[in-house]
Amino acid sequence: MDFLDRYRDIVPDYEAFRAIQCQPLHSSARINTLKIKRDQLLEKLRGQGVLFETFAWYPLGLRLDAGSPGKLLENLLGYIHIQEEVSMVPPLVLDPRPGETVLDLCASPGSKTTQISQMMENRGLVIANEPSLNRLAPLRSNCERLGCLNVAITRYDGRNFPRIPFDRVLVDAPCSSEGRERRGPGVLARSSCKRSMDLQVLQIGLLKNALRLTKPGGAVVYSTCTYAPEENELVVQAVLEETDEARLERISIPGLKECPGITEWNGRELKSELQSAARYYPHINDTGGFFVAKIIKN
Amino acid sequence: MSPKSSRIRNVFEPLDSSWVADQWHSRFGISKEAFSGYKFFQKAKSIWAISDACLPRLSYETIGMRIMSCKGRPWKPTTCALQIFGRYATKNLMHLETAFARIFLEGASQAVESDCEPGYVVVFYRGEVLGCGLYSHGKLVSQIPKERRMADRGSEDLS
Repeated sequence: MDFLDRYRDIVPDYEAFRAIQCQPLHSSARINTLKIKRDQLLEKLRGQGVLFETFAWYPLGLRLDAGSPGKLLENLLGYIHIQEEVSMVPPLVLDPRPGETVLDLCASPGSKTTQISQMMENRGLVIANEPSLNRLAPLRSNCERLGCLNVAITRYDGRNFPRIPFDRVLVDAPCSSEGRERRGPGVLARSSCKRSMDLQVLQIGLLKNALRLTKPGGAVVYSTCTYAPEENELVVQAVLEETDEARLERISIPGLKECPGITEWNGRELKSELQSAARYYPHINDTGGFFVAKIIKN
Repeated sequence: MSPKSSRIRNVFEPLDSSWVADQWHSRFGISKEAFSGYKFFQKAKSIWAISDACLPRLSYETIGMRIMSCKGRPWKPTTCALQIFGRYATKNLMHLETAFARIFLEGASQAVESDCEPGYVVVFYRGEVLGCGLYSHGKLVSQIPKERRMADRGSEDLS
């Protein structure tokens, strides 16, 4: 946990941030509108005596008070998908529209892929890319259970994904996952600056290619579930420095409090536009931790 | 990862949609219009469906949803496809009462009375499709995939 001390100066109310790491996350799920209407689903849960409340910031998000929500019939039939609350943010920021062509560059297990598919109302095309063979099965299984009919799966190294123009690209990058500590302690014990720097090389490669694949006027969303600036702002900065064809768009979701991206780290000054990125801290919304940046290609 | 090798392994051949619609119409009485707006592909003995959109030239692992397997005779619909298209079935469908639905969701076999023709059937519970069953001689065998079965009997209630 002491590893978190390096974030003392960037996290507001640092003591509360430390304290909440030991508290487990509440169960949460997303209503899958590809298979059921929101009101019908809520009625079913009420009928079963499942206690829940909807998110203040997203009408399709539910906090569930159920022992094993994965075992609910509604989950088996694909009416809901168990998904961490703040992990529903990146697809909303990506804002895909029905009929578009969208790439999810690091897709498995498919929580965000399937959310994108439902936002597109099963129309258009979502390419879900996942290089790792043993991560294909959960991705495929989730797409099928949730009734996604506009998703095709590929297995390229995201850094070399072939040049095809996309309206939007999501890079939910492999990361040190510090923001997942509340889901199962131990993540922080494995964190190190070296690990973050190793991941940064991959993350920059992924984000660079994502920007290349995006049509002019299109959007790239870069997200991680970690706090390390090396894997967040520094990645976005490295990519923006190499191009004058892209700018950051400010992220703000009504009802969910974000903190601005940082503009200084370890004495190094960063681009001021990084303030437009969003940091979601666990003690502020009682969620996991996330970083999200939205890049518009000019 | 080697896209080169997957290119050899993954051959998705476009398939005429009227053939697919005919199969589902003939077994389940589903109107052929239910299958308009999709593209169909065959890879080995499996048929896949995807929303009608322009597919870029890539090496694909999957294209949309696997909807039927032609490995054996007769062809077998997948549970996930029945959950989409099965609601339009007008024959070879079965409505189960709570106790039977539970056994079905657990993946077990059971005796049921039905006038369905022997073969694969659409299994409903309270107006919703649960999935695919195999019916013959008064016995219904659940075809629900293992990872989607209800595990502990009695731990969760059907509503």
